[in-house]
Amino acid sequence: MADKNINILVVDDFPTMRRIVRNLLKELGYHNVEEAEDGAAGLERLKAGGFGFVVSDWNMPNLDGLEMLKQIRADDALKHLPVLMVTAEAKKENIIAAAQAGANGYVVKPFTAVTLEEKINKIFEKLDN
Amino acid sequence: MTSQDPAARTEAENFELIARIGQLTRALHENMRELGLDQEVERAAQAIPDARDRLNYIATMTEQAAERALSATEVAQPLQDSIEAQANGLAERWDSWFEQPIELGDARELVADTRAYLAWIPDQTRATNAQLLEIMMAQDFQDLTGQVIKKMMDVIREIESQLVQVLIDNIPEEHRERKSVQKSAPSEASSLLNGPQVAAEKADDVVSDQSQVDDLLDSLGF
Repeated sequence: MADKNINILVVDDFPTMRRIVRNLLKELGYHNVEEAEDGAAGLERLKAGGFGFVVSDWNMPNLDGLEMLKQIRADDALKHLPVLMVTAEAKKENIIAAAQAGANGYVVKPFTAVTLEEKINKIFEKLDN
Repeated sequence: MTSQDPAARTEAENFELIARIGQLTRALHENMRELGLDQEVERAAQAIPDARDRLNYIATMTEQAAERALSATEVAQPLQDSIEAQANGLAERWDSWFEQPIELGDARELVADTRAYLAWIPDQTRATNAQLLEIMMAQDFQDLTGQVIKKMMDVIREIESQLVQVLIDNIPEEHRERKSVQKSAPSEASSLLNGPQVAAEKADDVVSDQSQVDDLLDSLGF
C-alpha cells in the first residue's frame, strides 16, 4: 500500500497540466505535491532531496523528461526514485526508450483519473515486492 | 497630343504590365531554381497540409473540452438544485415546528426526514465531485493543443524565413551589397521542423527577433 504522505514532484512545462495532475493526486489522497516547470528545474529540486515519487512530462524545454530520467538513474542518491512518465509522445519508440531509460510507468495524454491511479498503485505494488 | 481611345490605351498598358509580371515571374522562378530555393518553397508548401491537420486537431480538441465541461455542468446543476430544494423544505418545516412545537408525531416524522436527508447528501456531493473532476480533466486540452500550436509556430516561422530568403536573393544588384545575408547551408535548412531557434544570434542565416524581420522588409520596400 502506498504511503500517502510521500512527497511527489510533478514536472511539466504546462501549468494547466501540472494543476490537473496535482488535483488528481490530491483526489487520490496524495497531498504533498510540488511542481517544477522543466527537467532542469525538476532535477534541481530532486537533488535537494525529500521526494519519494516523480511524475514527469517528456517534451519540455531546457531538459526533457527522458534526459532527466537518465540523469536520475545515473545519480547514486536518486537512482531508486520511482518515475512515472505522463506524456503526449505516443510512438512505440518513445515508450521503449523510456522503459530502457528506467521509467517505472508510462501514461499517454490525454489520460483519465482512473489510469493515473492504476499506474501509481502498480508502481508502489512492484516496489513493495 | 493626339486623341487616343482611353480604352485602347488602358489595354496596351495592361498588356505591358502583364508582360512585365510574366518576365518577373520567370526571372524569380529561374533564380529560385538556380539557388535551390524552389525545393525550400516546395517543402514549405508541403508543410501546409500538415498544418491543416494540426489546426483540425486543435479545433476538435477545444470543441470536445468545451462539450465535456458543459455536459458535466448540466449533470451537476440538478444535483445541487435538489440538495438546495430539500434543505429549504426541511428548514421551513423546522422553522414552523419551533414556532409552534406541538405535535410530537409531526416532530418524529421531521426528525426521520432530516436524518434521511443527511444520509442522502454524501451520495449527491460525491456525484457532484465526479462532475467537477470531469471538468478539471477536460482542461487537458490546453497542454495537448499548446504542444501542437508550438509546432505550428515553428512551421510558420520557417515559412516566413524561407520567404524572406527568397526576397533577399532577389533584391536588385544595387541593394544586394548593402543587404547581403548569407544563404543558409542546405543541410541546416533540410527540415521544416527544427524547433525554436534557440541560438538565433549565433547563426547568420537566421533573424533573431521580429524587429530584424521588420527592418529587413522595410529596407526592401515592403
